[in-house]
Amino acid sequence: MTRILAVILSLAMLAAVGAVFLHAPTEVQMGDVQRIFYFHVSSALSAAACYFLVFLGSVLYLRTRKDRWDRFAGVSAELGVLFSAFVLFSGPLWARPIWGVFWRWEPRLTTMLITFALYVAYLMVRSYGDPGERTQRFAAVVGIVAFVNVPLVHYSINMWAADQQLHPPKVELDPAMQQTKLICYLAFGCLVTLLMRLRLNQERQAARLQALATTTHQ
Amino acid sequence: MNDVPGIWTHARLLLRKDLMTEWRTKERLSPMVFFVLLVLLVYNFAFELGGAALWEIGPGVLWSSFVFASLFGLQRTFAAESTNDCLDALLAAPVERGALYLAKMMGNVLFLVGVQLLTLPLFGLFFNLTPGLYLLPLLVVFLLGSASVASIGTLFAAMASHSRLREFLLPLLVLPVLIPALISCVAATGFILAAGIPGRAVQFWPEELTLHVGMLALFAVVFSTLAWMLFDFVIEE
Repeated sequence: MTRILAVILSLAMLAAVGAVFLHAPTEVQMGDVQRIFYFHVSSALSAAACYFLVFLGSVLYLRTRKDRWDRFAGVSAELGVLFSAFVLFSGPLWARPIWGVFWRWEPRLTTMLITFALYVAYLMVRSYGDPGERTQRFAAVVGIVAFVNVPLVHYSINMWAADQQLHPPKVELDPAMQQTKLICYLAFGCLVTLLMRLRLNQERQAARLQALATTTHQ
Repeated sequence: MNDVPGIWTHARLLLRKDLMTEWRTKERLSPMVFFVLLVLLVYNFAFELGGAALWEIGPGVLWSSFVFASLFGLQRTFAAESTNDCLDALLAAPVERGALYLAKMMGNVLFLVGVQLLTLPLFGLFFNLTPGLYLLPLLVVFLLGSASVASIGTLFAAMASHSRLREFLLPLLVLPVLIPALISCVAATGFILAAGIPGRAVQFWPEELTLHVGMLALFAVVFSTLAWMLFDFVIEE
């Protein structure tokens, strides 16, 4: 299954890169730099999806107390942070030629940064807690609080920096751009799924090894 | 009709115990007040307080010193319970966990509002703030701001006492979650202080204030409810 997924991902990524550079037309005002958009937005969506999965895993962990939901939430958070980091990296690269600066305290940028910080804190709770049931519980609580906080952050940052809004609220895309965007979404969907599977496998094996080590020591 | 004491009775008793201990030892309020003084001192050298600084950076200075002091104070939320395993005794007692959260949270609100009221004169002194009735709405902002900090602060303080990072963990968790509330605290305080700008018609409750006070109330309600629901999972042993 993982192999099949890897093959699909390779094809989808190739198609995405091809579409971004060959199929999508050059944007009139921004020029070639606008092509960052396809990966930038796909990463942002992937991050948002991962954060939702952290919430889901956390709730299910607290309800069922099954280790696998804890691992699921943890792995989702790692991927969420990874994709957010990419958004925060690709954003400034795009912003510099268009807005003239790498960073603006602009609502969506700021919201992304705060969300990123929230989930880095979540990962710290996981990695600095003593391994065991208590840390899993704490992580789940933080995973839920962080997710509930995101809409509040979004709303309040919009209120705070309403005059700084630089992201367009809605974009009309050329059909070729639209197609490219969808191919990128698909490729990133595959990427998230594959990474998730690989990391979950790793974590499951680590847990099994740990369990074996404990039984042999006794 | 109902002889079994409810959650509020338990919460009130626990709160009374904490307040009485604090009254006798003053081990949370005095260090926090002193800490705010020190932060203001540091800010003075960083920014040169006084003059127009009051309206430009005043609200930010005020709230950042409150937030730092509260992180300091929140660490102590469960300190009294950690000696002699008092927490275990409390958990073994037929008291709902929610009552413990409510008591600790209300205690934190009272401490924070206390610190704010005690240090506001210091802030006024350093910034040359003109005292007056126009400052009255600050009370609402202090109360709701403290409730916001205490709502999540109490939950995370219970967690931090068990982590290897300990003191480190609390700010890492509280600060990013608190940002929406902090924005409204600073903005609301700004609108209130602006009423004191010389030559400006004093407006007791500027219109924009309602939005920010509403936001603070929303934050406090959402997170104290959520924290109250999740508190069980944090202290179950």
